[in-house]
Amino acid sequence: MKPEASDILDISAGQLMGLIPSLSASYQQSATAVHALLIKFAAREYERGAEIRAAENADIRTLLAELAPEATAPEDTSLAISALNAVNAELRRRLIALHAQADAATNKRIWRLLKDMAARRAVPLF
Amino acid sequence: MAEALEERLARYLAAKLDAPDLTVHALSRIPGGASRETYRFRARHGGSERKLILRRDPPASLIETERATEFRAYQAFFKLGLPVPEPIALELDGTALERPFFIMAEIEDAQAGSILAPDPYGAHRDKVGRQFWNILGTIAGADPQALGLSDFDGAKSCGDCWRHEVARWEKVVDEDEAEPQPIVRGAIAWLKQNPPPPAQKIAVVHGDYRSGNFLVDGSGGIRAILDWEMAHLGDPLEDLGWALDPLWAHHDPSHPAGTLARGDAIRIWEETSGLKADPEALSWWEIFASVKGCAIWISAAQEYATRRNDDPVNAFSGWYCLSFHNQVLANRLEALA
Repeated sequence: MKPEASDILDISAGQLMGLIPSLSASYQQSATAVHALLIKFAAREYERGAEIRAAENADIRTLLAELAPEATAPEDTSLAISALNAVNAELRRRLIALHAQADAATNKRIWRLLKDMAARRAVPLF
Repeated sequence: MAEALEERLARYLAAKLDAPDLTVHALSRIPGGASRETYRFRARHGGSERKLILRRDPPASLIETERATEFRAYQAFFKLGLPVPEPIALELDGTALERPFFIMAEIEDAQAGSILAPDPYGAHRDKVGRQFWNILGTIAGADPQALGLSDFDGAKSCGDCWRHEVARWEKVVDEDEAEPQPIVRGAIAWLKQNPPPPAQKIAVVHGDYRSGNFLVDGSGGIRAILDWEMAHLGDPLEDLGWALDPLWAHHDPSHPAGTLARGDAIRIWEETSGLKADPEALSWWEIFASVKGCAIWISAAQEYATRRNDDPVNAFSGWYCLSFHNQVLANRLEALA
C-alpha cells in the first residue's frame, strides 16, 4: 500500500505537533505532544514489529534448543503480531524458568541474550 | 465537566474555609503525571485571591498510592523549611469531588524540566544541581520521628529495607505484567541473591526524587519538590539510586538529573546527609531503581491497555520507559554475570 501505514502515522504525528501551539490548556498541549510521540513509535513498530519479534523468538529458541533440549520450543506459524506475541510469551516463560536454575555459565549466556533482546527492542526517541 | 468541577470545588472550599463568598475561577487541568489529575485554579474571597492546585485521584491510579502520605509529607517538609508547596486541605472520601483529593498552594513562575529535554536547566545547571543534591541529602538526614512520619509505610529495621522494597515491587510485577518479563525477573533474582548491607538509618524516602519532579524558577532556584506520593520509610540510598538513574539523566548519565558530574552529586549528598554512599551498596540500589522503574512502567502499561487510565503518559511509560530500563538492567547485569 502506498502510502504505507508508517507514512500515514509519521505525517499524522507531525500534524498533531503542529496543532500544539493553537491549544490553550497546558494539559492538552502536553497530552497532544505525548500522543504525537506515541504515533511516531507506532510508525516504527509497524515497520519493524514483526521482524523484532521473529528474531527474538528465533534467538530464544536457539538457546533453549541448546540448553534445554528436552522440550521442543514452539515455532512461529504466522507473522501476525498477535501470533508472534503468543509464541514469544511462551518462549519467554521457558527462558525465565531456565534462568531461575542456571549455573554461572548459563547465567552469562542468558544475560547476553537478554542484552541483545533489550537492544533490539530499544525505542529511539529521535 | 470543568465547569461542574469548578462549582463543586467552590462549594467545598467555602465550607472548609468558612468563607461563604468564596468563588473559584480559571480552573484548568495541567500536566502532573498520570497518578493524579492536577488542576490549577484561583480562589477569591474577602477581596483577596489565592492561586491553588488541586490534585485529585483519577478513576484508576498508576500506582496505588496513599494521597494522605503525600499530603503529610508536604506538611512535614514544609514545616522543616524545604521547598515544597504549602498544603491546604485533604479529603479522603469522594463526597465533595467524586474522588479523594488534596489542595495546595501553587508555586508561581517556576516549571519542571522535561525528562526528554537534553539540557533542561541550561546555564543554571550547576546551581540547580547543588540545590537538588543538597535537598536530597537533607531529606535523607532528617529524623522520621521528629518529622512526625515514623508511622509511614516501609521497613521497620535497617536490615529489612531492601527486602521490603523488593517484595513491594515484585508484587506489582506479579499483579500487572501483561507478558513475561525475563529481564525484570532475572534482575529481581539478582537483587535477592546479592543483598546490600543494612541501611545506615531508617529515613523518609521520597520515592520519586528526580529531574522532572521539582519546579525551578528563571534564576535557577528550586522552588518546590513535588510528587511525594510514594514516600515511605527505608534506606536513604534508595532515593539516591533513583535520582542517579540514567532515565532521569537527560541522555547524559555522567551528569545525573541533568545537573552536576556524578561524583560531585554524591559528595554533596554525603556532606548534607552525614551518610556514606558506599559504592557497592549504591550500585545495588541503582539496579533496584531500574527494577522499580520497570514495575511502575509495567503497571502503567496495564492501566492503559485495560482502559482503566488512558492518560497517554501511561502508554509512553509502558513503551519507552520500560524499554529504556530493560536496556539499563540487561547491560548492567550482563556485565556482572
